[in-house]
Amino acid sequence: MADAEARAESPAEEQAETTLPLTRREFLYYLWGASMAVFMAGTGGATIWFALPRFQEGEFGGVFTLAVDQIPPANSGPADFPEGRFWLVNNGDPILDDPRQPEVYPVQQGVKALYKVCVHLGCLYKWVATNDRFECPCHGSKYLLTGSRIDGPANRNLDVFIIEAVDAEGNVLTRTEPAMDGREGTAVTIPPEAVSLRIDTGRRVQGAPNTAPGGGL
Amino acid sequence: MDFIRGIFEPHIPILDDIKEKGVRQTIEDTANDSVRRVTAGLDIPALRGMLRGDEPGRPNPRLTPHADGFWLHMRPGFYNNLVTGLYPSFRLGWLSTFFLTFEIITGVYLMFWYTPSPLVAYQNMVDILSTVPFGRLMRDMHRLGAEVMVAVVALHMLRTLVTGSYKKPRQFTWATGALLLWVTLVLSFSGYLLPWDQLSLWAVTIGASMAEAFPPEVVGQTLNLLVRGGPDIGANGLLRFYLLHVIGLPLAALVLFGVHYYKVVIHGHSLAPEDENIGEDTAKKVPLDKREYFLPTIATRELFYVAGLTLLLIVTSAWFYHAPLEPHADPQVTPLHTTAPWYFLWLQGMLKLGDKVIWGVIVPGAITTISVVFPYFELGPNRRYAARRIGLSGAAVSVFVLAVLSFMGTPWYAVQSSADQEVLAELLPQTHPGPLLNSDWDEFETGTYEAANWQAAPTPALRNILHEFNESLQRHGDTLPNAEGIMVVENWQSGLRKVTLRVLWDSIETGEQTESSQSTYFHQDSAHEVTTRFGG
Amino acid sequence: MKWYIGLGLGTLILATAVAAVLAVQEPARMERFDAAFHARQIENGASLFENNCRTCHGPQGRGIPGVAPALNAADLFDGSRLQAVGYAGTVEDYVRGTIAAGRPVPSEGASYPQRMPTWSQQFGGPLRQDQIESLVQFVINWEQTALAEAGATPSISEEEAVGTDITVSLPEGDAENGQLLAEGSLGCTACHVLSTVGPAWAGEGETAGIGARAASRIEQPDYIGNGTTAHEYLFESVVLSNVFVVEGFDPNVMPADYGRRLTPQDLADVLAYMETFR
Repeated sequence: MADAEARAESPAEEQAETTLPLTRREFLYYLWGASMAVFMAGTGGATIWFALPRFQEGEFGGVFTLAVDQIPPANSGPADFPEGRFWLVNNGDPILDDPRQPEVYPVQQGVKALYKVCVHLGCLYKWVATNDRFECPCHGSKYLLTGSRIDGPANRNLDVFIIEAVDAEGNVLTRTEPAMDGREGTAVTIPPEAVSLRIDTGRRVQGAPNTAPGGGL
Repeated sequence: MDFIRGIFEPHIPILDDIKEKGVRQTIEDTANDSVRRVTAGLDIPALRGMLRGDEPGRPNPRLTPHADGFWLHMRPGFYNNLVTGLYPSFRLGWLSTFFLTFEIITGVYLMFWYTPSPLVAYQNMVDILSTVPFGRLMRDMHRLGAEVMVAVVALHMLRTLVTGSYKKPRQFTWATGALLLWVTLVLSFSGYLLPWDQLSLWAVTIGASMAEAFPPEVVGQTLNLLVRGGPDIGANGLLRFYLLHVIGLPLAALVLFGVHYYKVVIHGHSLAPEDENIGEDTAKKVPLDKREYFLPTIATRELFYVAGLTLLLIVTSAWFYHAPLEPHADPQVTPLHTTAPWYFLWLQGMLKLGDKVIWGVIVPGAITTISVVFPYFELGPNRRYAARRIGLSGAAVSVFVLAVLSFMGTPWYAVQSSADQEVLAELLPQTHPGPLLNSDWDEFETGTYEAANWQAAPTPALRNILHEFNESLQRHGDTLPNAEGIMVVENWQSGLRKVTLRVLWDSIETGEQTESSQSTYFHQDSAHEVTTRFGG
Repeated sequence: MKWYIGLGLGTLILATAVAAVLAVQEPARMERFDAAFHARQIENGASLFENNCRTCHGPQGRGIPGVAPALNAADLFDGSRLQAVGYAGTVEDYVRGTIAAGRPVPSEGASYPQRMPTWSQQFGGPLRQDQIESLVQFVINWEQTALAEAGATPSISEEEAVGTDITVSLPEGDAENGQLLAEGSLGCTACHVLSTVGPAWAGEGETAGIGARAASRIEQPDYIGNGTTAHEYLFESVVLSNVFVVEGFDPNVMPADYGRRLTPQDLADVLAYMETFR
């Protein structure tokens, strides 16, 4: 930040400054300065590229393959997959009919992989069986097994990872799709021919916006 | 030929002096000369004269070290005696600098034994506390110094605001000072992560999420990834925070401090508002009769303050203040009631008001920007308190609002998880040992105890805990109807007891009795109170 | 002005005195902290043991025959177990290495059908180094009690044992106690509930639980056992497990001595618990 005091210039000096012709030397200085600025900008960009983290494949960030018998039974609590940082939930009718579920979000039967990180500020929310909901210990955001937010300062539903149900030959039978404007991944109904699920923790579908008290838009 | 003679007959200048003046005089002159060079201007008689308290000659040789020397170059040769008294609020700038230096020194000591890797960081902390002589003292002093420094810098800012010392021509001094406050806060915050315990990891994870909230989305995501070096705070994140803490921010602090202090000196320390005429900045021109010279007067005082403060910090850290060490960081489990460090409680309070983009980034950003540039929009040169009623009221209101927001940032306010978890967390908190583990082990006799029957418990420690348990259940009475609390203490292993707390209540929805319980293991030698903040 | 100098001098002397006092106290303080930290490791280890190890190694580390050896046992701490397997290091290292790496390959002479899982994150397990260290300290803390006691679960006399005659009538069974036994000292759940070493007791989807399956199984053409009722089927499967082994499972895996270890009441309780699985 340059010194804030301005020097008073006499009108004659001002006149003299503006009528000085641009010499080659002066021009070259300006050109050099501009090129230094461009170089610094480039260095800045290269530094950011240098410092960005590299994601490891096969660990969190990569694809997890589960046999279909690892899917929890319908309507039981969520299954914990800490290495993948997700909860696997299998939602049947009782869960979908939960009176706390906000109406505006499309819910269907099937399996979802809920990202364990609360969408508010990054803490890991917990499953509280006595209250039949997820609760975040940091600021109190609460979510149902469908992933819908029902309380707290979070501003959207839980993010989900993309699940692909795969048959014995490796064909993808069905997968998670965004259901609301590129967000709110659907639950995946597991077809009988499916033998495994592929859960891609590198691709996440964000939850739909949810800010109303009690859940909703 | 002369050249060959030169090898065999070397010319030693000092022999010339001895031949001319005699040995004794030569030694005296050489000594004087050396001392004058080392002190940059004071030979032995001048030095002794200063130490004896004699009147200096004219021109005053005690100003030469300032003019010619490196170390005293930026320090003023003399102060206005109106600003040298030890008022409660003057000298806070000096105190801030003292703490910066203190932190650098204690920090370097700690660097001998610390490696910023999640695999060893926690064990390093344990080693510092258990196998390094004076390790705990160094760590406690470093932590104490950090917390006091934040308070001192904030108070210094408040003092400058109240006395209107930010007005022209000192606006940029104020601006660099406001930035220095932020550097101090981030220094403290980045250091918070380094012990790699549960509170460190999660408090910093939440704080770093603020980076992600930066609009627009691409900028926020990139900033977040740069700060963490990964999807969550792990090895890369710890290293980056360490680099920030140890070199990045100290460099920024030194640069900003250099500019800040230089401007303080060339404009002169601003006098109290009533000591100068309105609109006149007379601080720079100190009349002869008001001068108090740095050498020896101010220097002596500063050395004394350093000695006194160091003693105070050592004594406090040795017996009254201890930096806590929570359980090892667990990236899979977020503990209940993670709180920000006290100087960020206001931010945590703001976040409870709503959307994190607005309350976590935009509003604090606006507050910071305004606080940095407002001196440039000031209305007039009058620093007298009477003329600044609106401004001073504004300052008072801001302080009050900060206090309220800070209270809102504590776990007391808002965020409640289910009542049974709250009750259990009061006795067995997830971020620090809590009242149960701080009790006397020998008094925790085996048996089954009911909270309602606390008076019948055999020992004082049991009575205390059961009493707290009971109070807690009653406080949550409306969400836990018919609540009962039971505590079971069993012998588990040699020196180890298992304590189970059970909360039973009638569920509001179904009317059936529900139970929630939590157990912990309590060892005779665990001495948890040693690593709580104000333990022994 | 002079008082600054005097006070400054006094402060420095005081500071030196304080430092000297602290220096003298330091060794004792460091030792106390060491002891406190060790105690905390034991506390953490106790909790980890309950959550991860108890199901196989039994409550209080007493071991479950056929599932996992006792840790709270004299032979571990007096060196005889190490000698038997030919390990040359200390007990602590043995425990640490076993916890960290697990037992991907069985020790010779041991007949534990299940492999011990690998626990250290270094080798793909779930626990951090400090957690493994806590577990080690917890296990080592059994040294005193283990060496003092004779070890293992007290056995019952032959007249008290239920024996292998499946026509003997049993008392009324208490399913709750049966559950405690099955999950605890008998180790049934280790193979039949928590893993797939033995046929699953719980029903899943269209398959019924063991309590319901028992009746249908005696009707099956491939049933070669001697049970005539569902109750007898279950009785036989516990005390004479090799007579009829369900298809897909191996003989000689289930411990064959339950008839010797259980009283009639114990067995009745366990059967009552099994029968709750529909």
